[in-house]
Amino acid sequence: MNRPVQVTLLVLGGLGLLHTSLFTDLCLRYVRPGMRPLLIASGVLLLVLGVAEAWSRRTPRETPDSHAHQAQQHGQEYGQEYGDGHGHDHTSVPRVAWLLFLPALSLLFWAPPALGAFTAARQPPKQVSEQDHFDPLPATSPLPITLTDFTRRVRQDRTRAVEGRTVEMTGLVTPVPKGDRAGGDWDLTRIIISCCAADAQSVKVRIHRTPAPPADTWVKVTGTWHRDGTLGTSTADVALDARTVTKVPRPVNGYQDALPLTPSR
Amino acid sequence: MQTTDERTAAAGAAGSPARPVPPEHPAPPGPADDAPGRGLPPYWALWLLAAAVLPGTALFVAVRGVDEPAVQAWRTVCLAITVQALPFLLLGTALSGAINAFVPARVFGRLLPKRPALAVPVAGVAGVVLPGCECASVPVAGSLIGRGVAPAAAFTFLLSAPAINPVVLTATAIAFPGSPLMVLARLLASLVTATVMGWLWLLLGRTEWLRPAVRHTGHRPGHSRFTEFRLGFQHDFLHAGGFLVLGAMAAATFNVTVPRSLLDAFTGSPWLSVLFLAALAILLAVCSEADAFLAASLTGFPPVARLAFMVVGPMVDLKLIALQAGTFGRAFAVRFSAATTVVAVVSSALIGGVLL
Repeated sequence: MNRPVQVTLLVLGGLGLLHTSLFTDLCLRYVRPGMRPLLIASGVLLLVLGVAEAWSRRTPRETPDSHAHQAQQHGQEYGQEYGDGHGHDHTSVPRVAWLLFLPALSLLFWAPPALGAFTAARQPPKQVSEQDHFDPLPATSPLPITLTDFTRRVRQDRTRAVEGRTVEMTGLVTPVPKGDRAGGDWDLTRIIISCCAADAQSVKVRIHRTPAPPADTWVKVTGTWHRDGTLGTSTADVALDARTVTKVPRPVNGYQDALPLTPSR
Repeated sequence: MQTTDERTAAAGAAGSPARPVPPEHPAPPGPADDAPGRGLPPYWALWLLAAAVLPGTALFVAVRGVDEPAVQAWRTVCLAITVQALPFLLLGTALSGAINAFVPARVFGRLLPKRPALAVPVAGVAGVVLPGCECASVPVAGSLIGRGVAPAAAFTFLLSAPAINPVVLTATAIAFPGSPLMVLARLLASLVTATVMGWLWLLLGRTEWLRPAVRHTGHRPGHSRFTEFRLGFQHDFLHAGGFLVLGAMAAATFNVTVPRSLLDAFTGSPWLSVLFLAALAILLAVCSEADAFLAASLTGFPPVARLAFMVVGPMVDLKLIALQAGTFGRAFAVRFSAATTVVAVVSSALIGGVLL
C-alpha cells in the first residue's frame, strides 16, 4: 500500500466516522450513544493522521524508495541498511489494510440499516430483572410505558396496577414465525444493545386483535393487557389487545427500551 | 543477518569459488535477507487470498440480495463491531507508538522484576491500568516486547488488561446486581488465567513461533521522535485495522447465522454448558465491556458457565485471533489462543465452582 493510498484511507476513514457521528445520527444504528464522543475524536484523529502524512510528503524524508535508491548507488551500505535489524519499514503497510476501505466507504456512502425484525425474530425475549416494589401508575390515559416496564408490571406486580389500564408502547413490528402462534398475532419489539449491535437483545410484547403491519415498521400501539394467565405472576402472558396501531418514525434512541425521543434524521 | 562483506568473506572461507558480489547488483541477497522480517510467505498468501476473495464474495452476495434481511443484518453487525472497536484500537496503537518512540527500554527494566517468573504476575496486575476493550491491548503488548519486556510478561498483560480493568469490572457489577461474588470470580479467574499463560509461555514457549516482525526499534538518534511516533502509530493502526475488519467479518457471520434460540439446547448439562458458552464467547466476539450484560441475560445457564463466557471472551475471540495473527504471526496466534481457551475454561470452572 503506497503513501497516497494510505492518505486516502486515513482521510476517508476519518470522514466516514465524522459523517456517522458528528453530522448525522447514523452511528446510533451500530453503537450506544455513549460511544459518540469517542467516535468523533477517532474521526478527527484519523483526519489529522492523514493530513500529516500528506503534508510530510513535501518535506524530504527517508522512504524505502530512497533506501533502495541509495542502496543502488552505494552498494556497500545495502547490507547494513537492511541487515542490522533495521526493518523499520513503517511506510510499507501490508495489504490486509485494504480491508479498511470497506467500513470507511460503507460508513460514507452505503450505511446499513439498524437491526430489525430479522434479528429480533431469531432471539428469545430478554429476561427482565426482578423488582420488588412497584409505585402506583400515573393516572394519564393512555399511559406511555416501556416494553420492559410493561413486562415487569404483568409478570411481577402483585398489586395488579396495570389491570384494565390503557397503555401506549412504541416499538418495531416483528412477525411471529408460522406455527408458533395462531395467525394474525405479531410481536412489538425493542432491540436493546449494551455496547454495539453485536450484543443485541430483544424485549417483546405479543400483540393480538390487529393485523400485523409490514415487518420493521415502527409503530405506536395502545391497548389493554391480553387476559391470559394470572396477572402479577410468571404465568401471565406478556401480551396486549391492541386498540390503535399508528405508524411512527424510528426514534433516535431506537436501541434502548425507553420512551421515544425525537425522530432521527 | 550478515552484511554483504561478511557473507562474501564466509563464502571465501568455505572454499567455494570466490565470486564477489558486484557492488552494482546487491539486490539478490537483499530480498532474501529482508523476507523473514516481513512475515512468512504462506501466511501472507493465505491472508491475501482472503482479502481477495472475501470482499468479492461479500459484494456478490450483496448485489444478489441487498434487501435480504440476513445480508443487511450481517453488514450492520460487521460494521458495528468495527466502529465500536476503532476508538480502542486507535488508543492501543497510539500507546504502542508512544511506548516505542518516547519510553526508553530501561524504564521497563526498572518497573518489572528481573526474573521473568516474577515479572509475569506483576504484569498481570498491571493490566488494571489499561482501560477499555481488548483491541487496545494487542498492539500495546507487541510494542512492549519490542521494548525488551519478556514476552511472557507482555502476554500476561495482553490477557489480563481487557478483563480486569475498572471499566469492565464496573460493568460486570452493574450487570450482576446483588452478586458481588461474580465480579470477584471474574477478577480472580482472569488473573489466574493470564498468569498461568505467562508461566506456560516461560516453560513451553518458543521464540520462533513469534513472527520476527518486531519492527519497533525504539527511538533512533537523528530522527524526530514525533515523526517516529506518527509513523509507528499510523503503520500499526492500518495493519491492525485490516485484521480487525477480517475478524469482524468472521464474527458477524456467526452472529447472524447462529440463532440465539439454539442456546436452549445446551442449558441442561453443566459441563456442556460451560464448554458451549466458552465457544460462544469465541464466536460472537462481543466487546469485553459489554459481555457481562450478555452473560447476565443468559439466565438458563449455571453461573459457572456464565463466568466462563466472561473469562474466555476478553482473552480469545475471532477478532482477537485475527489481530494476534497480524501482530505476532499465525503460528503464535493459533497455539496461544488454543492454550488460553483451555486454561481459561479450567480456571473459571475451578474458581467458579468454589465461589459461585
